Amino acid sequence: MPVFKLCMKIIRKNWLSISLYIVIFLAIAITISMSTMSEQKKSSSFSQEKAKIALISEEKTPLTEGFRQELAKSSDFVKLPDRTEALQDALFFRNVTYILRIPKGFTEDVLSGGSMQMEKTVVPNSTENAYVDINVNQYWNLARIYAKHEPGASQQQLVKQLKTNLSGSTPVTIRAHERAITSNSFSMYYFNFLAYALSAVLIMGISTVMIVVNKRDLSRRNFCSPLKASSINAQLILANLLFATASWVILVVFCFFLDSKSFATQNMTFFLINSAIFTACVASLSYLIGNLMKNLNAMSAVCNVLTLGPCFISGVFVPQEFLNDTVLKIASFTPTYWYVQANARIAKLTQFGWSDLSSIIYSMAILLVFAVAFAALSLVIGKRRRLTN
Amino acid sequence: MFTHIFIYRFKCLIRDRQLVFWTLLFPILLGTFFYMAFSNLNNEETFKPIDAAVVNDSAYQQDSQLRMVMQSVSKGKDRLFNLKTASNQAEADNWLKQDKIDGYYTSGEEIKLTVKETGISQSIMKSFVDQYRTSSSAVTNIAKKNPKALQNGLLKDVGEQRSYTKEVSGGSAEPNNVLNYFYSLIAMACLYGSFWGMKEVTDIQADITDRAARVNMAPVHKLEAFLAGSCAALIILFVEIMILLAYLQFGLNISFGQRTGYVLLTALIGSVLGISFGAFIGAVIKAGEGLKIACLIVVTNLGSFLAGMMYMNMKYLIATYVPPLAWLNPVNLLTDAFYALYYYDSLHRYALNMGMMVLFIIFFCAGTYLIVRRRKYASI
Amino acid sequence: MTIVMIVNDQRHLPRCGCSITLSTVGEELLPLIIHVKNLVKRYGELVALDHLSLDIKEGEIFGLLGPNGSGKSTAINCILSLLSYDKGEVEIFGRKMAPDAYDIKRDIGIVMQNVAVFDELTVYENIDYFCGLYVRNKAERKRLVEEAIAFVELDDFRKFYPKKLSGGLLRRLNIACGIAHKPKLIILDEPTVAVDPQSRNKILEGIERLNAQGATIVYTSHYMEEVEQLCSRIVIIDKGRVIASGTNEELKAMITLGEKITIEAFSIDAEQLRQMRELPGIVSVEHIDKRLIIKSGKGTNNLETVLDFLKTHQIGFGRIYSELPTLNDVFLEITGKQLRD
Repeated sequence: MPVFKLCMKIIRKNWLSISLYIVIFLAIAITISMSTMSEQKKSSSFSQEKAKIALISEEKTPLTEGFRQELAKSSDFVKLPDRTEALQDALFFRNVTYILRIPKGFTEDVLSGGSMQMEKTVVPNSTENAYVDINVNQYWNLARIYAKHEPGASQQQLVKQLKTNLSGSTPVTIRAHERAITSNSFSMYYFNFLAYALSAVLIMGISTVMIVVNKRDLSRRNFCSPLKASSINAQLILANLLFATASWVILVVFCFFLDSKSFATQNMTFFLINSAIFTACVASLSYLIGNLMKNLNAMSAVCNVLTLGPCFISGVFVPQEFLNDTVLKIASFTPTYWYVQANARIAKLTQFGWSDLSSIIYSMAILLVFAVAFAALSLVIGKRRRLTN
Repeated sequence: MFTHIFIYRFKCLIRDRQLVFWTLLFPILLGTFFYMAFSNLNNEETFKPIDAAVVNDSAYQQDSQLRMVMQSVSKGKDRLFNLKTASNQAEADNWLKQDKIDGYYTSGEEIKLTVKETGISQSIMKSFVDQYRTSSSAVTNIAKKNPKALQNGLLKDVGEQRSYTKEVSGGSAEPNNVLNYFYSLIAMACLYGSFWGMKEVTDIQADITDRAARVNMAPVHKLEAFLAGSCAALIILFVEIMILLAYLQFGLNISFGQRTGYVLLTALIGSVLGISFGAFIGAVIKAGEGLKIACLIVVTNLGSFLAGMMYMNMKYLIATYVPPLAWLNPVNLLTDAFYALYYYDSLHRYALNMGMMVLFIIFFCAGTYLIVRRRKYASI
Repeated sequence: MTIVMIVNDQRHLPRCGCSITLSTVGEELLPLIIHVKNLVKRYGELVALDHLSLDIKEGEIFGLLGPNGSGKSTAINCILSLLSYDKGEVEIFGRKMAPDAYDIKRDIGIVMQNVAVFDELTVYENIDYFCGLYVRNKAERKRLVEEAIAFVELDDFRKFYPKKLSGGLLRRLNIACGIAHKPKLIILDEPTVAVDPQSRNKILEGIERLNAQGATIVYTSHYMEEVEQLCSRIVIIDKGRVIASGTNEELKAMITLGEKITIEAFSIDAEQLRQMRELPGIVSVEHIDKRLIIKSGKGTNNLETVLDFLKTHQIGFGRIYSELPTLNDVFLEITGKQLRD
């Protein structure tokens, strides 16, 4: 198996840069998966969503304190220095979504039925804005009503009254439908991100090998030897598949370490099948690129565009539900789209009947078609290039 | 002489397709990808009326107060709910299961909310009923203690919900955080321009290439030749950045604020920063070309990462917890300059960023000058 | 276009002819083009140039010969003020050489050991670029570039990028870039390394033509055949020192070896060998693998003496060659090692 050994040598020679890639991708994959993973919520009980608020109070009255406590039920307070730029920064980067300033004399004014208002700075038209507004207005409207119709009460009494008044809570029932452990889990994000890591590592690795092997003189020498052309091709493919498998195993094993909880589920089997098919697909794409390209320098440009592009438009970095329809339509011409779609469905699986699986299997089948098409195309092109070049 | 060298250096640089790809085509492609991926992110944040339902049973029929309130918040442009009326609970449940509604209310002694999962829409639904319930109980409380209040217009007062907040904008621009991705992208493109600068040094330092030795042997002042080459590099990079800016602004509708003049100035300073950085690295690092390229790539990419190009909150985290790093990261300075121009009305922070960049440029240029001015080498 | 070029060349010839006569007639009177005295260059402990002194006269093809690593390139780079040196003085055209001595630089053309051209520029553009560093006038520059292209016979390749040129063509481009501005002094640092024989001959012929047109040539090489063929004066250096200098003939005259006679397919006994060594004019006789290598001193009839001896003693022999000494033998005799390692 001389050609196979040659490939292994080339890979071993580039091992450092390839493993560097793997390490970088792992690091990025882990940070991104961690940060995008929404917190696992207990599905059994309802917990009120909390908005991130900066509350700046220019006066301190019992009523503003009561307000602060009441608002804490629906908000998390973020401490920020009272400087315009610091506040603006926090708002821009969504460290807070609502900045509320209670002006001096506000309490007095409300109690006497005046029309003073607090100043809010928000992300315009945001959902959280609407949410916080309801809670803020509720408190002060009540305060106004109590103050008007029970004029004798002190502020402390008012606060107490408001507190009892607001203490009740609307009963919320959660119609719990069964939820998969893997839904919104680290594993799901990790496997999505794997599309990026696998594409980059495989295209870089396999194409490098192919470009070296396909160098005109070297390849002619190979084909002049008494080896059959089919055997040479078979050895090349075998070497590349081995490399692809190794990369896949390394990347998947890390998921096991990082999210062992999901690993015991049946969903994981499908994650693995899906990613294995995707690996095959990218491997044959890389094989095609390796047969098309001649120049290692242009390679890294192609590699970057071909990995980043599909990943951006297929929902690896930004989930598919946030992408608009035109983009998704374009994305559906890339294997990455189908891989990510299958992943998202697998993550939510709670039952494994045919009707639940059919759409997933459909996506996987499309991936397989891509894989076969790339492989067939590269065999044809490889042969033509050898004869004409 | 200056023009002669300038023209030929221009040809040399512009024909380097690799560099043109990385400094122009790649940022444009990446910008397009960003645009495709992020264009909906801001819409996702905006408030859309919540799909809610109410079970139309006898209790609801009787509660005219609730019906009225429900109807009033479900109409008009600023409505809270897209309200559907379910004939019975089973129907509402079915809607819920099919994700047609986020939750539904059932009235009775106490209004109940049924949802499928916890979320902001569900929390708003809950807050809304909370408010309704507390208002009613306030009426009851007050009326109990002070029956006269009812004649004093208590119900009218309750009905009159006032808004106690008024929106003041932080600045003239919307806090559209997706923009940061595009700003850092421009910064990255500028820093990729460092490759042009490095190429110039490579072709003027006789101890790096034989080509340069040949130029050194010509009756031309070395600094003149270097300056002519750097001007060619700068013009190429600046034009590339302008193309990128134009594409972002007119092709992808990315806003840069109102101060076009300053935006162009920033692009120019960014280009100078990129070129001088590359020249500096090219001159300082004596070892092979591989190390120089690695150095430029690492600084540019790590810088872009820390400036929030891959993960936006990174920029904020760095600014909050490790501020010196934000000031020492050229990519961040450039990103922040664009951001400050867009977002702040005052030019204070913009000026700080620009000042810091100018300091960097002076440092890089001085360093490069000290090395390049030498015309005899200890070894070749 | 080609025809015009030939006319151009011919027009130049008479002027060049003049300078040839000048240099051969009044050799001693000619000013020194390069004067190097006691040049010392150290790399840390290593002494690359050890009190090197050279004088190169106008009109010469001056050969700087030495094995790889002997300091040829270092010497050239120091002379050109590209490298700093520890001691010594360098004058070119009678003036002190310095990095900013632009008047001197204007009349120097250099051809580097490695091909020093821009990959992004075409053949024409490369030559025009380097020529433009010397010549401002556009019309004149155009003429000079065309001449240079014709000179190295790259007319068919003017729009080619260097990457598309073969090794020999690339070397020719490399030379054209160095000489387009018609310098008075042309320094060629191993211009024929890794060049096929045909291209090499073209290059050597070209150098002779340049010299004929009036340029002084400094040529470094470790190929002694080239230097023997080309150079009017030769300096052999080793370990940064001049170990011999003179014309080709003068150098060979320096050594005792006159002729080397090799006789093949030979059987001879020890007694006969001893007798042979005592023949007049014979310096040494060695018997290696059925081959007899006889070195003789200077004289005209050494071969006859040997043949007579063989006949008288009825010793059978096959082929016989007689070789005159080469520069390698000169080098061997002075340093005790081969020129080419």
